[in-house]
Amino acid sequence: MTEKVKVRIDGEVIAATAGQTILEVARTNNKYIPALCYMEGLSTVGACRLCMVEVSGVARLLPACTTPVQEGLAVATTSPQLESYRKMALELLFAERNHVCAVCVSSGHCELQTLAQEHGVTSVRYPYSYPRLPVDTTHPRFVLDHNRCVLCSRCVRTCAEVEGAHVWDLAGRGVGSRLVSELQRPWGEATSCTSCGKCVQACPTGAMAEKGFGVEEMTKRRAAVSRLTSMREGE
Amino acid sequence: MRIGDIAAFAAVREAGLAKLLPSKPRIAVGMGTCGSGNGAEAVYSAFSSQIDVRGLAIQLAPVGCFGFCAEEPLVNVWVPGRPLLMLHGVQPNHVDAILNAIHNGTQPPAEIVLCKIEEWDHITGHVKYGTGFPDVPNWNEVPFFSGQVKTVLRNCGLINPDDIEEYIAIGGYQALYKVLIDQSPANVIEQIKASKLRGRGGAGYLTGNKWEFLAKAPGPEKYLICNADEGDPGAYMNRNEIESDPHALLEGMAIAGYVTGAARGIVYVRAEYPLAVLRLEHAIEQARAYGMLGTNVLGRGFDFDIDTVEGAGAFVCGEETALIASLEGQSGRPRVRPPFPAQKGLLGKPTNINNVETWYNIAPIVTKGPAWFTETGSAKSAGTKVFSLVGKVKSTGLVEMPLGTPISTFIYDIGGGSSNGRDIKAVQTGGPSGGCIPAEMFDTPVDYETLAQLGSIMGSGGMVVMDDDNCMVDVARYFIEFTQAESCGKCVPCRVGLDKALRILNGFTVGTATMADIAALDELCRMVRDTSLCGLGQSAPNPVLTSLRHFRHEFEDHIVAKRCRAGVCEDLAISPCENSCPLHMNIPRFLQLYKEGRLEDAFLSVILDNPLPASTGRVCQHPCDDHCRRAGLDEAVNMRDVHRVIADEVLLSDKFDAVAARVAERKLEPTGRDVAIIGAGPTGLTCAYYLALFGHSVTVFDSRPAAGGMLRYALPEYRLPKKVLDREIELIERLGVKFQFNVSVGEETTLNDIAHQFDAVFMAIGTWKEAWVYLPGTELTGVMAALPFLETVSRDEPVAVGKSVVVIGGGNAAIDSARTARRLGADVTVVYRRERKDMPAIPEEIQAAEHEGAKIVYLAAPHRIVGDRNGQVKALEAVRTKPGEFDKSGRRRPMPTDEVIRIDCDTVILAVGEKVDPDFCKASGLVLKEDGTIVVDRYSLESSRERFYAGGDLISGASNVSNAMGFGKKAARNIDKRLMGQKRFASLIPDFVYEMEPPETPSECRRHVPSELPAAKRVGSYAEVSLGLTAVAALEETSRCLRCDIRSTER
Repeated sequence: MTEKVKVRIDGEVIAATAGQTILEVARTNNKYIPALCYMEGLSTVGACRLCMVEVSGVARLLPACTTPVQEGLAVATTSPQLESYRKMALELLFAERNHVCAVCVSSGHCELQTLAQEHGVTSVRYPYSYPRLPVDTTHPRFVLDHNRCVLCSRCVRTCAEVEGAHVWDLAGRGVGSRLVSELQRPWGEATSCTSCGKCVQACPTGAMAEKGFGVEEMTKRRAAVSRLTSMREGE
Repeated sequence: MRIGDIAAFAAVREAGLAKLLPSKPRIAVGMGTCGSGNGAEAVYSAFSSQIDVRGLAIQLAPVGCFGFCAEEPLVNVWVPGRPLLMLHGVQPNHVDAILNAIHNGTQPPAEIVLCKIEEWDHITGHVKYGTGFPDVPNWNEVPFFSGQVKTVLRNCGLINPDDIEEYIAIGGYQALYKVLIDQSPANVIEQIKASKLRGRGGAGYLTGNKWEFLAKAPGPEKYLICNADEGDPGAYMNRNEIESDPHALLEGMAIAGYVTGAARGIVYVRAEYPLAVLRLEHAIEQARAYGMLGTNVLGRGFDFDIDTVEGAGAFVCGEETALIASLEGQSGRPRVRPPFPAQKGLLGKPTNINNVETWYNIAPIVTKGPAWFTETGSAKSAGTKVFSLVGKVKSTGLVEMPLGTPISTFIYDIGGGSSNGRDIKAVQTGGPSGGCIPAEMFDTPVDYETLAQLGSIMGSGGMVVMDDDNCMVDVARYFIEFTQAESCGKCVPCRVGLDKALRILNGFTVGTATMADIAALDELCRMVRDTSLCGLGQSAPNPVLTSLRHFRHEFEDHIVAKRCRAGVCEDLAISPCENSCPLHMNIPRFLQLYKEGRLEDAFLSVILDNPLPASTGRVCQHPCDDHCRRAGLDEAVNMRDVHRVIADEVLLSDKFDAVAARVAERKLEPTGRDVAIIGAGPTGLTCAYYLALFGHSVTVFDSRPAAGGMLRYALPEYRLPKKVLDREIELIERLGVKFQFNVSVGEETTLNDIAHQFDAVFMAIGTWKEAWVYLPGTELTGVMAALPFLETVSRDEPVAVGKSVVVIGGGNAAIDSARTARRLGADVTVVYRRERKDMPAIPEEIQAAEHEGAKIVYLAAPHRIVGDRNGQVKALEAVRTKPGEFDKSGRRRPMPTDEVIRIDCDTVILAVGEKVDPDFCKASGLVLKEDGTIVVDRYSLESSRERFYAGGDLISGASNVSNAMGFGKKAARNIDKRLMGQKRFASLIPDFVYEMEPPETPSECRRHVPSELPAAKRVGSYAEVSLGLTAVAALEETSRCLRCDIRSTER
């Protein structure tokens, strides 16, 4: 699949390879499309819906992370409607669980926080749910705080696809969905966990963190996870 | 038993025919889930044991359901040579009579005979039952079945679903055989494409194209899936199809297996359909045994097998990628497309998924050809669709109609219209993914595109009919509650967006929402629709978006007026009776106070809610009766007559002065504001009363010499004695209300004059202008209008009524005129163009008129008034009508026939409705509607001119007393709020303390009704007819109240 195609992103003609997604083409050409559940090197799930774009000739909005490019495809990465929807999606995430930046280890290095800043989310128009959620501190090195989880499933995919352990999965449904480790046992008791810590590095927020960090101290090396997969591609 | 050649196939077919049309009588009991739920099992075993006991040569078989759910259990009886008789509502006690009828060669009891079938087109075959029973209607003459085209349901309710031989007997598996013998797969796909068959699951994708993708997909391993995960609330057509005719599904799938190269089929069926699963699995076993499935199907070297998988009941698993995930043993979450299932589906192999109903169309198309199929339906949507018609219609059930049939046909012609006489206001199609279509749009043809344009979808075919008792906000809330609970949680808009939408909607139902919430909800729902990952999220907002589009006023009612007209949102009402009362009387409160023996407190409670309790206690239309929960046990509490007793006991006794003083104590401090009220009718009086209580100075203008309006000048003395009304008005006067009689606004003074002298003006002049029918002869002497006639009589002035009077009309004015004319000694005939049940008059009044000797001629439309040569009325000619189609009011339109009747008479009273006479507001700058009524804000009642308010019939058109008074009360609240800048209504009502525990044992008495003056004594007398309840009866009546006003504190 090395057929070359020409696509237009925000008016600029770009050469791409057929089969690449809109998001991949945009990112390699420094065109910004926001995304939260997408991470380079992992499979795509199209869950956060932040990367929705307008494609000319298609009435519906399409997710950039899963839509493959074709010859002649013309994409608009932003519009007043897209901006409004992205802002709403971010507000919905903030209202869903208990995101309190002021006490979060990842504050200042959090993808959700950054996206909110970029999109001018200064207040949330929807009623907060304030669910009572546990914090799993059973793992000797890591901690999982459900209050900060956005259910992007990057940890699930990292563990299954990169580490090959598949400790994590999503249980429940609707707003009751929860990240669970192994057979719904505490993380510390999950025997399949190799304690590699890649899930922590993949997590966009402070939901997963290494123990021993204070507010704003947890920085993550997401690129390291992506780099692993890109290095393996040659194998 | 495997069929390997044509001879074997023909032999099985013969064997099946011998079961379907045996040489002895056959009784078949409809035993779908619906029939069984209505007692079909007991009926079947009763037949079985009686046939056994009597040693009868009768064949007994279970069949599926013929679709008329409202009439279950259905039983078919066939005697060789005679038509198949379909019996309805059969219970075990009918069994003897049915068996006797078969034995004697007669017809079973008429009350259980629904229709007959002389011959039946199974499409793949044809069955001739026989002829006879000329008095029994043919099946398609029954309104519920008329117009139905049974393609998908061709075998349902007629063959035994557990017997493959019966299915083969009516041409089953012939299409499969034909395809295997002489058709190339490409040829069949061309046929399906040419038929324009579209997926019946809701999305409407062309089935032929889907098959072609799969046929072209590479690889030996391909899968066919039947989606039987029917999860929409209110939809059950797939269940019935499988329960009644499972082999047609298997045949459709086997044909597809052959043409697409798939060797395996899977039916994903809900575990909640145990009977369907059972019958399907049995059918699969039989089909394997007979060589229709398995290796070497029908000896043609084709391998295909089908398995069932039971779904655990997640709604999202109806979405094809989630269904595939569920089949793979994963949690039912959709995944993104592309890749589409036709490329990468089940276990990564090419897969095709079709809805149950789609598969049922395959064998007919193969048998009859695509041209036959496209003859039915509309241009873009060919064929038929099965709908489950449920909700507030008389006849509910499964209805198969050509696509493109208008909604009105479903609701009125097939459904038989409203089940309880209330107005039908909407139909919900497509379940949680669909939307509500308002009654004004019932001409809409039901097909994929048109419904989508209205913001709804056809979906799998649910059709829920709603009437005035359904709150559209609550309906939207219900569906969002469903979809947010069924959301898989994968994508953000659906998972969180629907949850937030539900929270906003909950705010509407408890009265905490604001107008900003409407905009926020609208925006949020659009976002969820446009950005969700799968069909569930993309369509879940439809119920909200369509309700916001078509029923925005109901949302606004919940916000601005904190009011749910349907009475569904309990937090917005004290009780159902209070909610239905235009004056919002706290009915449980006065009932309880009276029950506790506190007459004066009870009176205070009543009079602070309703300033004319004795008058309304006599003449109110009592909407409270229709909403009383006690009616579910026996009959509604007679609330109207209790407040009449309470009012009479005070107003007409020596307690009056003391109690009037207690009412006056409630007056707030004088405000120094002046308000003018134009019209001293019930609306004006009510407004004046409350404004006086608020402390304003009130002046009421009226063109007549006394107060009361219609109550005094249109309602006859025998219904409302003037002395009762006088007392009520006296109480209002004691609060300081000033009256200026004989002042006609527009003549003596103008609105502009009044505007200069007052801080606010309330207009309530009512509808006094008689609507005149344009028929020849109205210019003759002896023709008069009802209101002037009634007014003249009430003023005790002479009136020129002859010996025989014809009254034209069916409202209260018509009946009042008739009864008054009877009292003047005339013979009276009322002529009404519709049926009795359509009459707007109060039913008790119609009955009373008949008791008093008035004749009522229904279904007759006046045609002309005949005069003699002196210009005097001689007779009325009327055309007989028959009920025609349903009109927008939900009543059958009277259609003229050729028959003309002539009624000799010397007087004709026209009572065909009243209108506003808008002359009074000339040059006032007020904006009027076409019919002369004044345009006001729905909530504040302020007109287009500032500080000018209007209410009553003047804004609504002719209505009734309590509705009019409701406007007066609402106007007073709003005028006060405007003048004083705050809401002060609650401060008028004292803190009544009374028992707030529900009665452990409410009285078991039936409803008490007042006794009446004997009819013989009424004619020639104006004495009041209704004698009212006795104090004892009223007290007993109060203990019948169930106290819906008391809520559990635990919620």
